[in-house]
Amino acid sequence: MRRIFEIGGEEREFWLSHDGRGYALHEGARQYSAALTPAEGKGAYVLEYEGRRIPLRLAVGDGATFIHLNGRAWEVGVIDPAERLAGAGAGAGGDVVLAPMPGVVVSVAVQPGDAVVEGQPILVIESMKLETTLTAPRGGRVAEIGFGPGESFGLKAVLARLAPEEG
Amino acid sequence: MRKISRLLIANRGEIAARVARTAKARGLEVAVLRHAAEEAGPAHAIADQVVTIEGPTPVAAYLDIPQIVAAARKAGADAVHPGYGFLSENAAFVRALDAAGLIFVGPTAEVIDLMGDKVRARAFVAERGFPVAPSAIEDDDPASFIARSRAVGYPLLIKPSAGGGGKGMRIVREDSLLAAEIETARREGQRYFGDGRLFVERYIERPRHIEVQVMGDGRGNVVHFWERECSIQRRFQKIVEETPSPALSPAQRLEICETAAGIARAVNYRGAGTVEFIYAQDGGFYFLEMNTRLQVEHPVTEMVTGFDLVAEQLRIAEGEGLSTGQADIRQHGHSIELRICAEDAAADFRPAIGKILLLDEPRGEGVRVDSGILEGGRVTADFDPMLAKLIVHGGNRAEAIARARAAVRDYVILGVTTNTGYLDAILAHPAFAAGNVSTGFLAEEAETLTAPGEDMREALIAAAALSDQWLLYEVGQISEIHRRMGAWRN
Repeated sequence: MRRIFEIGGEEREFWLSHDGRGYALHEGARQYSAALTPAEGKGAYVLEYEGRRIPLRLAVGDGATFIHLNGRAWEVGVIDPAERLAGAGAGAGGDVVLAPMPGVVVSVAVQPGDAVVEGQPILVIESMKLETTLTAPRGGRVAEIGFGPGESFGLKAVLARLAPEEG
Repeated sequence: MRKISRLLIANRGEIAARVARTAKARGLEVAVLRHAAEEAGPAHAIADQVVTIEGPTPVAAYLDIPQIVAAARKAGADAVHPGYGFLSENAAFVRALDAAGLIFVGPTAEVIDLMGDKVRARAFVAERGFPVAPSAIEDDDPASFIARSRAVGYPLLIKPSAGGGGKGMRIVREDSLLAAEIETARREGQRYFGDGRLFVERYIERPRHIEVQVMGDGRGNVVHFWERECSIQRRFQKIVEETPSPALSPAQRLEICETAAGIARAVNYRGAGTVEFIYAQDGGFYFLEMNTRLQVEHPVTEMVTGFDLVAEQLRIAEGEGLSTGQADIRQHGHSIELRICAEDAAADFRPAIGKILLLDEPRGEGVRVDSGILEGGRVTADFDPMLAKLIVHGGNRAEAIARARAAVRDYVILGVTTNTGYLDAILAHPAFAAGNVSTGFLAEEAETLTAPGEDMREALIAAAALSDQWLLYEVGQISEIHRRMGAWRN
């Protein structure tokens, strides 16, 4: 079974198999066996892999697994390739204004239905006590504004959406 | 003397919990605030009462003076502790509490007014003979501002009079650029603060930030609780603080601490305050500003002196005065504080949000955690990214660093990106170990401090794969089919 794993912006695709005794991970032609055994403590496990025994702490979230290992925490994005396929085409990149960082909306300059030109200010956000103006990625018509003034949003939230280009 | 029986804490997060603990230990009843959009935190579990506040944003609610005064009345509180940030240095808030007959745990409105105006505060301090960096203030005589700036000498720093947080500051090293940089700084000051007035001061190369904890009873008695060094800053905000400062000799330490106490004495200071200094490589130090409140980093002072500064604040507010004299305030060992923030140090300290899926705080001898989060809580962009503070104490600096490293590596927060790995990298840096840092350290060493370290990606992916229950189920289904096929084939 396939999964795409994302760490620090880099994606890698793996297969997982079971040979009757244990699990094996496959990346291209490379294969290695691994086992994860619960240990004492909240979310504590021992990972056995490549002859090493690595104690770690782990929590599974929505679409990502968080792992504390070797004194540091990592976020591993977990993507099911089947779901990615189903979600494709739900809005091309140029149609949306995504939040570059979590923050709060300060003001909104346009309304749904308004025509905008490329580079026209759409909304002003505040994050880390700095204000940033976000602009239209292309010319077109505003289809949706995701958040109103004073509302907070997360990283990559859809702040505004343009109507799909015709033709 | 006016005994406090019920205290409203007009703050949130870790500081609300920290103040609540001391207040409860002194037998006070405690009320805290909560906005509808805010997660429950440790303070809400400790408090006797939670008053709901409203506003378009949670921050706006915490800054709403009439609402906070009404909340104090509703809670039946006779005193308000402001924590830090929010209304803690707002003279209008103090006047509103005075008018309502409520005790403000802090200094008088007049002192807050004076110290809140950087230009006035500087002039006040300089007039009384305390050291300030050579400077020129535009307002004194706008026509001669450029000439007077030139006389300060290069390099110099242009600052907006109404400024803070490093915004609108410009360093000028050459006379030919002075006029243009003044105009740029003026535009930035106008944009950020609605006030284009400026002042310039001599720029101190590779400065350290050293501050002194002071405490006064408002009746002329002022003591200091020694210094804190806070040179480890990102975006002009401190993230690692320690005491004693590794930069000071005993004689310099005494001089800077007595200077701070002298400044506090000059305003007949009441309550807890901090006098901040710029410390130059040549050993010179200059008054920067006075913060008229408890600081985020106050616990390192508590760890080495053994005094509970919030308890002292409450005693002073009740008119009981200080519990100690200067001679009994001594530094024992070394303490370091790490600010645990929800942010991605590798992405220019971008704030992170998420749900805290797993929280396991470090424990042990000499380890203190002042936390504002609970497992299951959500970290949003509504507030400052600081989640908690990890404070350690050791017999000496090396022991404190070792203990801090062990504790921060043991601090498990899963579900939101934090800076724990980055803080560990700071502690591991040889320049930090040598105590040889300036306020530019994090920017200069950015690459080293955010280096990825050992490549653990395959192990991480293996752990993520083997904890993906749906993936294991799917693989199990397939091996079941193979097993049956095998059985059938046999």
